[in-house]
Amino acid sequence: MSDLRLEAAVGLVLRIGVAASAVCLAAGLGLSMLLSAAGPAHFLLNAGLIILMATPVGRVVISVGEYALERDWLFVVLTTIVLCELAAGVFAAVR
Amino acid sequence: MPPVTAAIALVIFGAGALAGSLGALLGIGGGVFLVPFLTLVLNFPFTAAAAISLTTVIATSSAVSAGRTGKHLINLRLGMVLEVATVAGSLLGAVTAQHLRQATLERVFGVVAAVVAVIMVTRMRRRNVMLDPAADPGVLGGRYYEDESSGTVTYRVRRLPIALGASFVAGNVSSLLGIGGGVIKVPALNAWCGVPLRAAAATSAFMIGVTATSGAVVYYGHGQLNAPLAAAAVLGVQVGSWSGLRIGARTQAKWLKLLMAVVLLIVSALMFVRGNQ
Repeated sequence: MSDLRLEAAVGLVLRIGVAASAVCLAAGLGLSMLLSAAGPAHFLLNAGLIILMATPVGRVVISVGEYALERDWLFVVLTTIVLCELAAGVFAAVR
Repeated sequence: MPPVTAAIALVIFGAGALAGSLGALLGIGGGVFLVPFLTLVLNFPFTAAAAISLTTVIATSSAVSAGRTGKHLINLRLGMVLEVATVAGSLLGAVTAQHLRQATLERVFGVVAAVVAVIMVTRMRRRNVMLDPAADPGVLGGRYYEDESSGTVTYRVRRLPIALGASFVAGNVSSLLGIGGGVIKVPALNAWCGVPLRAAAATSAFMIGVTATSGAVVYYGHGQLNAPLAAAAVLGVQVGSWSGLRIGARTQAKWLKLLMAVVLLIVSALMFVRGNQ
């Protein structure tokens, strides 16, 4: 069953996202607090936060692809709607 | 808002760790404790507290769900359907929060904290009617293996409109107040929609990552998310929920639930006092 494959792929995306954002946030926090290295710290902290927020979005993107491969069009539509709503959030944020 | 120093980052890391472990022990997420700490104790503006708390919700959701994949506890299809509603609610909440007065947000938090306290102590741990394991779970239902009863649990999803409605409200409250919203979805899914408690909790924890992201992005874009303090809180909550899950396997959480319900009622009262000042 391909839902198994989707579950494994989602798990992988989440694990990578959690680890990458934690590393960036810890390094950024350490730099800004201990060495007051403002530039690199600012970059790492924002990278960490963006990876953190991109992780759930990434697993929605993967789901759209997986359901498309399965030709499960109802779920392609549903996951695409979620993606559009997330895009609307980004739009509301930068406006 | 206090200036960002190493001391304040350390305090927030500690608060995050405590909120994260309490959240993991109680199964409700730590946001409902972190937000009042940031606003009532450290005197943060409400939106700044909600923004920081939302980032911790995302981190908890991703970390917890990553550890659970492969066990079929998370109902991916049901999650995707409900996300359509919960993300819409969350977007609306984040945009509304920009226009509400601080006092209004505090009062709404007061109401929700009281509701959470009541739900926490009265939540029925009722068993779901188990269908024949060979039964067809339908498009949205699920099937998973339960260690405790060493049997396969099969369930169908009933009353989908109620699940969608609860998800919309949960998403709305989530981004408005900076909490996960699982405390609204899980009882609704369990009591009215036929989803077993463990599957409901796992699916809700999976969904709140997307829900909180759509709210957090709006706060981030409006410059209301303090990056170093969010980092401290996220790392604290990660450490806290990791240890909370390990302690939780060994402790009876009943007395803790009662204690924390009392704490939440006090928080609720304090939020009202602040909101009316």
